Amino acid sequence: MKRMTILLCAAQVCLAGMVSAAPLSITLPPETAVFKPNALPGYPLAQQKCSICHSADYINFQPPGMSLAQWTGEASKMQHVYGAPISDQDVNVIGAYLAVAYGSAHESDADVQAASNSSVQTPAAPVAKVDAMALLQNNACLSCHALDHKVVGPAYRDVAAKYANDPQALAKVTSSIQHGGTGKWGEIPMPPFTQLSADDLQTLATFVLHQ
Amino acid sequence: MKFSLVDNGNPSRRRVLRDAFALALAASPLANLAKAAEETSEEVTFAAGPRPLVQYPQKRPLTLVTTRPPHLETPFSIFNEGPITPNDAFFVRYHLANFPTSIDPDSHRLTIKGSVNTPLSLSLAELKALAEPVEVVAVNQCSGNSRGFSMPRVFGAQLGNGSMGNARWVGVPLKAVLEKAGVKADAKQVTFRGLDKPVLSSTPEFIKALDISHAMDGEPMIAWSMNGTDLPFLNGYPIRLVVPGYFGTYWVKHLSEIEVVDHTYDGFFMAKAYRVPDNDCFCIAPGTTAAQTVPISKLPVRSFITSVKHGDVLPLKKSVLLKGIAFDGGVGVNKVEVSIDGGKSWREAKLGADLGRFSFREWTLPITFTSKGATQLMVRASNRGGETQPLQADWNPGGYRRYVVETSHVTVA
Repeated sequence: MKRMTILLCAAQVCLAGMVSAAPLSITLPPETAVFKPNALPGYPLAQQKCSICHSADYINFQPPGMSLAQWTGEASKMQHVYGAPISDQDVNVIGAYLAVAYGSAHESDADVQAASNSSVQTPAAPVAKVDAMALLQNNACLSCHALDHKVVGPAYRDVAAKYANDPQALAKVTSSIQHGGTGKWGEIPMPPFTQLSADDLQTLATFVLHQ
Repeated sequence: MKFSLVDNGNPSRRRVLRDAFALALAASPLANLAKAAEETSEEVTFAAGPRPLVQYPQKRPLTLVTTRPPHLETPFSIFNEGPITPNDAFFVRYHLANFPTSIDPDSHRLTIKGSVNTPLSLSLAELKALAEPVEVVAVNQCSGNSRGFSMPRVFGAQLGNGSMGNARWVGVPLKAVLEKAGVKADAKQVTFRGLDKPVLSSTPEFIKALDISHAMDGEPMIAWSMNGTDLPFLNGYPIRLVVPGYFGTYWVKHLSEIEVVDHTYDGFFMAKAYRVPDNDCFCIAPGTTAAQTVPISKLPVRSFITSVKHGDVLPLKKSVLLKGIAFDGGVGVNKVEVSIDGGKSWREAKLGADLGRFSFREWTLPITFTSKGATQLMVRASNRGGETQPLQADWNPGGYRRYVVETSHVTVA
């Protein structure tokens, strides 16, 4: 019986039982494609936003030589057609990164710089304490996570449960948000959120651990 | 022979350079070395280097297009092994990443609702018992198969020629299911959705539609068997829609809901995506915009040489059996012609077994090359409706429905 089960679980496929019509379950292989590193602000933004719905190879395999206008058009399509949680400003920032990393644009191009810097022209009003819900919204955390069920990443309740008895819980969850990671909850990587301040990271980690 | 399509901003010059490179390399002693280095990857690279072979559940190593949602191509050499594409080699394509990785066939239900007299919720057993099973051998080809060869290049999954496959499907006619529910007189279209869902609620659902006349004509089927066994998970387990002669976009996987509607369905994947210019060639001048578009529909006639790859060196004055496949949208291929001189003259190939008008049709042609040097092998299929393949590729913004005569660059030595 055990031997049979092993055979049935070969090659990423498991039949959950021995009866004729058991559930058919599969395990998808690890996601290994990564975005091309770049100093532009669109790089972390693309990691965080594009990865919600698709792997990086959707971008890596696109035709070479596409222009800033073409790549920005693609980012805009993701916003308007596929409902990506990105602002008009994000579209320009991501488009500039993609056009430099994968297309015909150069980092020093004036239009690339203008598009990339648009994000710092309207800094968020300084707020004494940003609450966790605002951080979750502003960083599109809830595109991949829900409180009580798995979406792309784990449910916050499951994260809280996993670390319930871990004295290092806050440090570990803070680090996972800041640096991203893969393997703890499956094979889809969590992108890094390095732009978050230490305060914001702590607010988010504390929120997650209290679910 | 693999070639990299490196962009230099000038398509015609690029193509010339590419071909010149392919020929020069094929004719050189480097040819075998280059070929050996390529055997672990697929024949075409598009941007990020050779596309790796990856192993997915129930599949042999297939060519990676994208990881999540998964899109995998059949390595082209498989098509030389016979007219039926094995299940473990059959291409995989999802639009949306949020699909289950475990499906219980006992609890799976197919609901039929909308403009019907009796809404249904069918178990697999009930579906299978609903009508006498029917069988069809039919090609499932991605609308964007070969998109990577579109010139000028277009965004989208950069596909080689491996997003197609031919299988023996068993199921019940869609018509039988709709008749069981009783279609109301106001029915205009039938929509289909499966268990694959968008990650974000703001992303359009993958829902496809057929006109009621097409849904009721007896050809579309709800299939549970592929080549004599259950559908592989990634090909739509436990049931999928099979629409013989139509592009794969309509072949909804993990089929779970059918709705009869009294209007032309206007969801994203019908009204905005998978559309082609509304004219005789479904094409426009590169870079322009179509005034009007229509949903992509039937497969145009197409053919491939499968026994020869780009860069192969073929023997002089010895008989070589050229072999390949041809197919169309169901009119029926009735002629395959081959040229070994770059299109100057054509000779007719012998057609293989007829597995039905929606199937790949094998063809063979023994050739004895009488002169040395580089040449181009071309293959052109025609169907009973008089449709044939063009020598020049046309263009549309989606990079859809490529069916130009294919050319293989070889050297006779």
